Amino acid sequence: MSDDPNDPQTDGGTASKPTSEEPQEYEDHPLEWDEPANNNKAPGERKSVSQTAEKFDDRKLVTGQAKYTADYEERFPDLAHAAVVRSEVPHGRVTAIDTAEAEELDGVYAVLTPWSDDVPDAKYTSAGQSYPEPSPWDMNVLNEHVRYVGDPLAAVAAEDATTAAAAVDAIEVEYEEYDHVVDPEEAFDEDAPQLFGDDEVENKIVGHDYDRNRMSNIEGEIGDVDAALEREDAHVHETEWETIRQSHAQIEKHTSLAYTDEDDRKVLITSTQVPNHTRRQLAHLFDIPIRDIRVKKPRVGGGFGGKQAMVVEPIPLALSLAADRPVMYEASRDEEFYAMRSRHPMKVRARTAVTDDGTIEAIDLYALSNTGAYGSHGMTVAGNVGSKPMPLYSKVPNARFEADIVHTNTPQTGAMRGYGAPQGTLALEGHLDEVARDLDLDPIEFRRRHYMEVGDLDEIAGMMGGEGAERRIRSCGLDECIERGKEAIGWDDLEQPSEPHRHRGIGMALSAQGTGVAGDELGAAQIMMNEDGSFHLQVGGVDIGTGADTAFIQIAAEVLGCDEDDIIVKSSDTDNTPFDYGAYASSTTYISGMAVKKAAEDAKERILEWASRMLDESAENLETRDGEVYSEETGETVTLEDVGYESVYGHDDREHILGKGTHSTEESPPPFAAQFVDVTVDEQTGEFEVNQLVVAVDCGVAINPGMAEGQVEGANHMSFEMAVSEGITVDERGRAEVSDFDEYGLPSATETPPIESILVETHEPTGPFGAKSVAEVPTNTVPPALSNAIREAVGVRINEMPVTAEKIKTALDEK
Amino acid sequence: MEIELTINDESTTVAVESDDDLATVLRRNGYTGVKCGCDSGVCGASKVFVDGDVKMACGVDAQNVDGAEVETIEALGTQDDLHPIQEAFVDHFAVQCGFCIPGMIIEAKSLLATNPDPTEAEVRQAIDDNLCRCTGYQKPVEAILDAADRMRGDRSVAADGGSRIDSHRPDDTAYDGDSNE
Repeated sequence: MSDDPNDPQTDGGTASKPTSEEPQEYEDHPLEWDEPANNNKAPGERKSVSQTAEKFDDRKLVTGQAKYTADYEERFPDLAHAAVVRSEVPHGRVTAIDTAEAEELDGVYAVLTPWSDDVPDAKYTSAGQSYPEPSPWDMNVLNEHVRYVGDPLAAVAAEDATTAAAAVDAIEVEYEEYDHVVDPEEAFDEDAPQLFGDDEVENKIVGHDYDRNRMSNIEGEIGDVDAALEREDAHVHETEWETIRQSHAQIEKHTSLAYTDEDDRKVLITSTQVPNHTRRQLAHLFDIPIRDIRVKKPRVGGGFGGKQAMVVEPIPLALSLAADRPVMYEASRDEEFYAMRSRHPMKVRARTAVTDDGTIEAIDLYALSNTGAYGSHGMTVAGNVGSKPMPLYSKVPNARFEADIVHTNTPQTGAMRGYGAPQGTLALEGHLDEVARDLDLDPIEFRRRHYMEVGDLDEIAGMMGGEGAERRIRSCGLDECIERGKEAIGWDDLEQPSEPHRHRGIGMALSAQGTGVAGDELGAAQIMMNEDGSFHLQVGGVDIGTGADTAFIQIAAEVLGCDEDDIIVKSSDTDNTPFDYGAYASSTTYISGMAVKKAAEDAKERILEWASRMLDESAENLETRDGEVYSEETGETVTLEDVGYESVYGHDDREHILGKGTHSTEESPPPFAAQFVDVTVDEQTGEFEVNQLVVAVDCGVAINPGMAEGQVEGANHMSFEMAVSEGITVDERGRAEVSDFDEYGLPSATETPPIESILVETHEPTGPFGAKSVAEVPTNTVPPALSNAIREAVGVRINEMPVTAEKIKTALDEK
Repeated sequence: MEIELTINDESTTVAVESDDDLATVLRRNGYTGVKCGCDSGVCGASKVFVDGDVKMACGVDAQNVDGAEVETIEALGTQDDLHPIQEAFVDHFAVQCGFCIPGMIIEAKSLLATNPDPTEAEVRQAIDDNLCRCTGYQKPVEAILDAADRMRGDRSVAADGGSRIDSHRPDDTAYDGDSNE
């Protein structure tokens, strides 16, 4: 694999490209978008889209009937259970593994080490991304060179989980221990212990410098930032921000079940967001043709990016080959914290040049990202620290972003909801608030002068290339988000507590995200008509609890003019559904949903063709509605059921009505959010109470408003956690100090303030029926808005997450 | 060894290993609505009734409940005939991934049995150890408050077989008081 930074293979086009001497060629992004007439139905004309249709799997979920991966256990009487031996040293080389005692235990079927035949020795990345992954191939399934406390180095399969655990305990490992480093600033030093030799990584990423533990360096600029910073009439402001190592904490642990089926094919039933990427990566690792692997996703108990990775799947597959029986691996909750994935902790420096009249001439962000022991999603997440929040201020003429992504001997990081935008949004929105205060400007009016609006050509998004490439803004509800948010939180009529030492303040922050990865996504769907007028919708898109399958049903029903109940959805099974990149980058409704729309339109065309013959009317005069095809000319109708029977059993010419759709696009329209946080702070103790969260989101058209609100509230809860919880802290050997939920501090129902979600609907012409994304943008905004609220309430600034009473008290004492 | 259990009103004899917890035993016998999210008895996903009290089944030593009466989520409504709490969760979009929801519904049932008209604060307190990563608790809390209304007979919008329901603006259809209680 080339490590030439100009080789597009090295970044897969997913996030950031280095700045090049050559002028960049961008797609032309005209303001006028050639939107099909049927995409822009008025709300009153939509029968399924925009309705709060029941989430199609809810009845199964509330009755306990839905099947998650672990629930397949009962279908495999000879199922073995896996357990994994993980490194106890932060850095070193495994010199010997004594498995003799484990192998002799009754009920142990297989014990694997890095040197076993059934264990692939190929390099790979766990990141579930496009191909070749814009992440370095720096891992092995079982590692001889271990780089954090938790690195997998051996695995067992046994008749039950207890025996598997006993076998793991019986395995003795000898190490040659190396020096280690856990602090990212220390790691980024030529004298620091080096995690990777140059020959230990394939698919290296732009800007890598393994002598300094740097996995990647990225940079992008528009205009001339240095010149703006040096202007005589410019005030230069600089602030620094720090974010936590946040756990996905999805309640269903990483779980994966592997077996060989009756047709000799390797099958994974697995809790994943990326079935197709997982299939490809397993084929690469195990040297099996892609066609001989089947990845099937059942109900998933939460993902949030933690399952946008092939985290555990190779282990049960290797064990099932060695033990010649089905094997299930379910990570423990302890493993979830120390050996799965987390959000990249970062330090971000923000600088602006602002002229006397309050005009921002330049924004300059720099991020130091701690990618942990391996580089999965390291470069692309860091890219989004700049390329998601900075375009919000598209009217600023000069902008620059740079990031260094460094390795430490700490747990692995990965994709997580927001994907870098939370870190960048904290820095930018906290910084701008502080600048507004310095200049005695209203923080909202200061932002409003610079933020994007419909018609803007957003060049800042283009400065990093790849994802979020230069784009035209065709929908923007920022003004309305702010106005409705202000009203809901009571911005203009805040009552102070009666006690003089307690102070109340409201802080706000804005955010933008993308919708899918511009130029690097694919969704596909097909739909087949049954003779009773119902449809089977097969879609590669992945529902991980978001309600995506229901949104697909609504989109198809809207096109086909039938009831939602007449559409049976089958999703995310690589044997039975078309290709899809997976559930990430806020792409599902936009990309996969558009594929569904196209498939339904394709089927509808055939339906109208048949109805035209049956009614002896031109297809142009026909439309579908309420399960019928009707003629606008004559009022004659024929039911979809009649068409279904006629098409397959008719006597003239027979046809199984099938529709197909596939969608990929250069567009990635931003959704927007305005966050408001109401806080009361006790200036004597620093203790604070968040009274309410209000977040207004412009998501385009909400396909299902009830589900969309749920996504907004859940995202905002995750954002709240990032602001107030410690996350996963690590000790001096890089071992996660958190082993269960009590220690992690996921905010409970009483610890979570009421969340008011407001959907500000606009119409995004490039999305299915006007939709853009909804579920990531509210993940970005609570940390800055809370920091800003505390600044408003008691005049101190907390730059380092989490916000704690101790930090506030210390800052007040120093004031 | 074997123990006798009455699970959802059916008496049965189940095999139990020495270190089995009740969640493992129930799941092994097909009651997979009991979920395990944490290994340490704190997340609430495995909640069931044991002799009328809510317990996290993963924290109950199976050998210690010989002779107990156990009620799991499977004893509440069916998909065609949901319990009012289940109806409210569906109508309010209180379910995303759904993994924690059976445990939360069990806890809600326990709450409403003793406190049929709870405040929002009381609802939040009741589900304080039912960890949820998807919802931010907002819609589950709203659903439980609405379920209380429905069960008291104040009003109802029963989930009705998959047709569209606007959960945000429930209409005033009278609730007939029938439930699976």
